[in-house]
Amino acid sequence: MYKWFLAARYLRTKLIAWLGVASVMLCSAMVLVVLSVMGGFLDTVRERARGLHSEIILEGGTLQGFPFYDEFGELLKVELPDMVERTTPAIYSYGIFREPRTTWTKPTRVVGVRLDEYVKVNSFRAGLHYERYFPGTTSLGLQGLSVVGTDPATGRFKLPESLARANARWRAAEKDQEAVAAFDADPFLPAPVDRLVSMEVGERVFAADMGEPRFSGPDLPGVIVGCDLLNERRPDGNFNRYLARGAPVALTLMPLTPMGNPFGEPPIKMVLRYVDDSRTGIFEIDSLQTYVDFDILQDRLAMSPQPAVDGGMTSARTNQLLVGLKKGVDINIARDQISEAWERFTMSKVPTVSRVDATNLRLAKAYTWEDLQRSFIAAVEKEKVLVTFLFGLISMVAIVLVGCIFYMIVEKKTRDIGILKSIGASSQGVAGLFILYATVVGLVGSVLGVLLGSEVVWHINEIQDLLASMSPQLRVWSPEIYSFDKIPNAVKTVDAIGVGVVAIVASMIGSLIPARIAARVWPVAALRYE
Amino acid sequence: MLKTTGLHKSYRMGRSLVSVLRGVSFTVDRGEFVVIRGASGSGKSTLLHLLGMLDIPDRGRIEFDGGDLLAAREAERRAYRNVQIGFVFQFYHLLPECNVLENVLMPQMVRHSFLGWRRVRSTVRGEAESIIERVGLAERITHRCNELSGGERQRVAIARALINRPAILLADEPTGNLDAKIGGGILGLLAGLNQGGQTLIMVTHDSAVADHAHRRVHLVDGVLRKSEETDELATPSRIGRREVPL
Repeated sequence: MYKWFLAARYLRTKLIAWLGVASVMLCSAMVLVVLSVMGGFLDTVRERARGLHSEIILEGGTLQGFPFYDEFGELLKVELPDMVERTTPAIYSYGIFREPRTTWTKPTRVVGVRLDEYVKVNSFRAGLHYERYFPGTTSLGLQGLSVVGTDPATGRFKLPESLARANARWRAAEKDQEAVAAFDADPFLPAPVDRLVSMEVGERVFAADMGEPRFSGPDLPGVIVGCDLLNERRPDGNFNRYLARGAPVALTLMPLTPMGNPFGEPPIKMVLRYVDDSRTGIFEIDSLQTYVDFDILQDRLAMSPQPAVDGGMTSARTNQLLVGLKKGVDINIARDQISEAWERFTMSKVPTVSRVDATNLRLAKAYTWEDLQRSFIAAVEKEKVLVTFLFGLISMVAIVLVGCIFYMIVEKKTRDIGILKSIGASSQGVAGLFILYATVVGLVGSVLGVLLGSEVVWHINEIQDLLASMSPQLRVWSPEIYSFDKIPNAVKTVDAIGVGVVAIVASMIGSLIPARIAARVWPVAALRYE
Repeated sequence: MLKTTGLHKSYRMGRSLVSVLRGVSFTVDRGEFVVIRGASGSGKSTLLHLLGMLDIPDRGRIEFDGGDLLAAREAERRAYRNVQIGFVFQFYHLLPECNVLENVLMPQMVRHSFLGWRRVRSTVRGEAESIIERVGLAERITHRCNELSGGERQRVAIARALINRPAILLADEPTGNLDAKIGGGILGLLAGLNQGGQTLIMVTHDSAVADHAHRRVHLVDGVLRKSEETDELATPSRIGRREVPL
């Protein structure tokens, strides 16, 4: 009993023990903050990587793509009805993005998608900017320029009817009233119809004039542009837009033959309307990709059926077939079964198709979204492990510090140890007293550390804002680098418990040597002098 | 009750070996009050430590109630220290973080496990309060040691030594750090305990203190020189075993 009693009493009366508590608290708080932020970072990356594609991707492996994708998609729904929810093709190509009113150009990866199907197999819709405020208005089909007119009675800007209705739907459904208030405070910036560029930068830009609200200009296919490709990212993570929604932009493309050779001369140019911008949260994608209609892109890239030299027609091609799974289906099992189905499908097709098509069929393989993003996710995972390891290493200081503190305590308590041994305490009991004492120090320190660390993580964005308000150099989290507006601020229970347990064990380890010294105290020597 | 035979003990001091006890043999009977006298460095405290199993002799034999303590296991020696022996030191040796009651309870806390303590706590606490009252510190029961005088601290040390109803009380210069008046009070307390049947072995070089004992043992350079009885009527063989009233 004396061990429990004295451990509690020493903790209450010995100031030096609170230094041990403080060191354990700070170290466990530090590790918890690092673990939570890096873990949150990793989870966000995984979540966003998952939302990029679909659960399973049949990847062509080449720029020229593979044929019979729609046929295989239908086959999958028949062969694996309990597994496959839907399929949709996607074309990947490369080109040059150009804003026609300037000489401003950028390389781009052009993705051809059937938008209505594409948004059902991933979380693409959630990243569309204008689609949020005007749901149902983002389309990749042919469309005119939406022009905001002026109400002659009030002199205020007036949206075209379809946009106004869509905006009303958003208002009715939006739970974030702050977002509605922000929209009302600054609905959009007007851009002159002849220039389609606003004088200022803001959240939303529409062509506007004094006339009636309307859709005007030639019908052009829509294009969704990666948010970092066209816009300027602000330090708060939002974007400055200047180009009006619906403004024409140009894409220059390089079509390829089924053999992978350039198709015709010169490269073709498409003029499209900028209808929205997309934010996946991954900078490498948002600064590179543009999205156009699948059928239009397939046609322009000559991936649609073309006259063949032998007089027949080539098969339509795509680069990917995205497969959305039903809920609860294991993606690895699904990948394996789809792979087997693809092999069977390929084997059945090879005897009847051209040599080039057979080669392109054989090159296609099924992957899970994790397979495709493995290198990206693995890099973040390694970063998390490395940073946690480094901070964990620093936290070893706590063990040394607890060891030093307990060594000092044992030195000061030599006489007490002699007294305890003189009244029958064993060496193991005395060692146990100091280990228990350290455990109590570790317990108190880890509980306080977990509370402190959790508070820091929960308020880490406010802390950063405070630091940034003091000096811009103190802003350590850059949304431009990390693609996230906010630092991840969730604490996992398992992390908190893990950190707490490790801190307690570390304190125990730190006390082992002092406890051993205490156990070896010779009572006669300890009691000889006052 | 307690018998030593040919005890030898030496300590290494630097390169030399200092012989402190050189063949000490004597017997203490139940209820006896034995004073061990001798000059500084004669081996008095060392002999007391050996009797209390705080230290191990180089050679010799120590028997308690016929059992060989040196042949006993460590756990048995600890139990002997905890239950059969009560130590009173010259410098009191109280735990400074604890108050009077907690210091007195400490041997009982050492004796019992966490769960065992919950069972006996109220009983033992009552006994401790009774002993504290008996040594005259009922009003100081919640005071810390640093709030007590030297004499009061020694009374706490005596109460702590008595809490487990030990067979033998070992007192090492219990009045050595006190003035004559307070030391006299402590001596009276110890003598009173002996009158109640408590076996008492006291180390002192104060001849006045030694006058209270039944028997005086002189240690000179680690050797027992003579043993004399001071009160024929009070020899233990005639007192017999008596319980210590608490």
